[in-house]
Amino acid sequence: MKHLTDEQIALHCSGDAGDSVEINRHLGECSECRESFEQLKAVLAFIHSAPVPEPHENFEQEMWLKVQDRLPQGQLPQEKPTVRQRLFFLHFTPAKWAGVTAMAVLLLAAFIAGRFWPRGSDQVNPGPSAQIDPQRVVLVAVGDHLERSQMLLIEIMHTDAARGLDLSREQAQARDLLDSNRLYRLSAQEKSDPGVERMLDQLEPVLAEIANAPRDLSRKDLREIQDQVQSQGLLFKIRVISSTIGTKIRQEEPASTQYSGNRRL
Amino acid sequence: MEVSDAAVVSQVLAGDQDAFRVLVERHSRSIYAMVHRMTGSPHDTEEIIQEVFLRAYTKLKSFELRSSFATWLYRIAVNRTLDFLSAKKMNDTCQIAENPDPEAHGEQVQLRSGSPGPDRLLLSTEIESRIADAMKRLTPVEHMAFTLRHLEGKSIEEISQVLNLRADAAKNSIYRAVQKLRHQLAPLVSVAK
Repeated sequence: MKHLTDEQIALHCSGDAGDSVEINRHLGECSECRESFEQLKAVLAFIHSAPVPEPHENFEQEMWLKVQDRLPQGQLPQEKPTVRQRLFFLHFTPAKWAGVTAMAVLLLAAFIAGRFWPRGSDQVNPGPSAQIDPQRVVLVAVGDHLERSQMLLIEIMHTDAARGLDLSREQAQARDLLDSNRLYRLSAQEKSDPGVERMLDQLEPVLAEIANAPRDLSRKDLREIQDQVQSQGLLFKIRVISSTIGTKIRQEEPASTQYSGNRRL
Repeated sequence: MEVSDAAVVSQVLAGDQDAFRVLVERHSRSIYAMVHRMTGSPHDTEEIIQEVFLRAYTKLKSFELRSSFATWLYRIAVNRTLDFLSAKKMNDTCQIAENPDPEAHGEQVQLRSGSPGPDRLLLSTEIESRIADAMKRLTPVEHMAFTLRHLEGKSIEEISQVLNLRADAAKNSIYRAVQKLRHQLAPLVSVAK
């Protein structure tokens, strides 16, 4: 007799398994699966037995007083662009795409030139008294995060469904990136950096999809994730923002710490 | 007759800031349980709920009047709570062992379960703290998905909308959470029965 899987038993407890008639029939016949099901039900009942958190009596009134104190005065701020507006890339005509591509090539050229162009040879080594700029550290961290995200998305985009769909390594990476993504998004929000915030906001659901995808991912599931990445032009946007961040880092770099081709000599 | 949420939102958008009070007083209690279940702290819960309403106020123009304000607010609350938990997780200096040994904990509880009186009370406190510990071992998304399905009674469709996941991914998060909780709590349940 083929036993029920752990997943079937877990989902059956909340009525989400789908084929409940078949599962119930099996549970009636198989004592091993029934025991496992009963044990899980007991665990869930145990969790349910914890008291439901209730606020104190005047909670609502006190909450209003606290919120009222912090409400911004005057007109409500303008709303953020909707998802449709954010996905304006989808509505581009071929001519606009050509413009965007040209801009991306220019950015890439500027990026490469910036990396390899010598910046003079008379720089002085800053020595041990050099200061650390927190803003710069955050920029470098976000740049690194975007680079890792980009690599992950490239791997996902190039995953060949025909060769098997074990994405456990990518899922672990996505879970890791998801946590830091939220943190960097909050940081960008606090520093009023809408470009980076919007980018991370779009990246987050994709990372969540990858991180929480079922272990036995189907080709259709993979295709949906790939379509999501492609339709939003995520890889392109990550490259543009990464390039902007790279430029910003170099601009903010103190003259004394800038790279000098001769310093190695 | 109670004024609808949509009508109150229109009042606020027209410049009547005080009308927002109706929305705060009407909805703050309903999101309290979910946020508290996730954070486990009344203080953090109140802080998050304040943030939720401030966010709702500043984003009110993006709210579509034909949809449900309660659902929209709930979604903000879920996201704020996940943000809070992610930030907390990153800052948490307390390391959780990779392979916890629930059997070792269970042994301690077994000794106490046999005794009457104050020990019984201790057992119940111990069990509550074990549930909280087990929940902490879930990722924020697993914790949220489990809480929404099993404790808040939301449907898979609602959960996938709120968490921005496909239904399969939402189900998988719930399954992973259930498995982890089972592994942690099963030894205790057999004692508590």
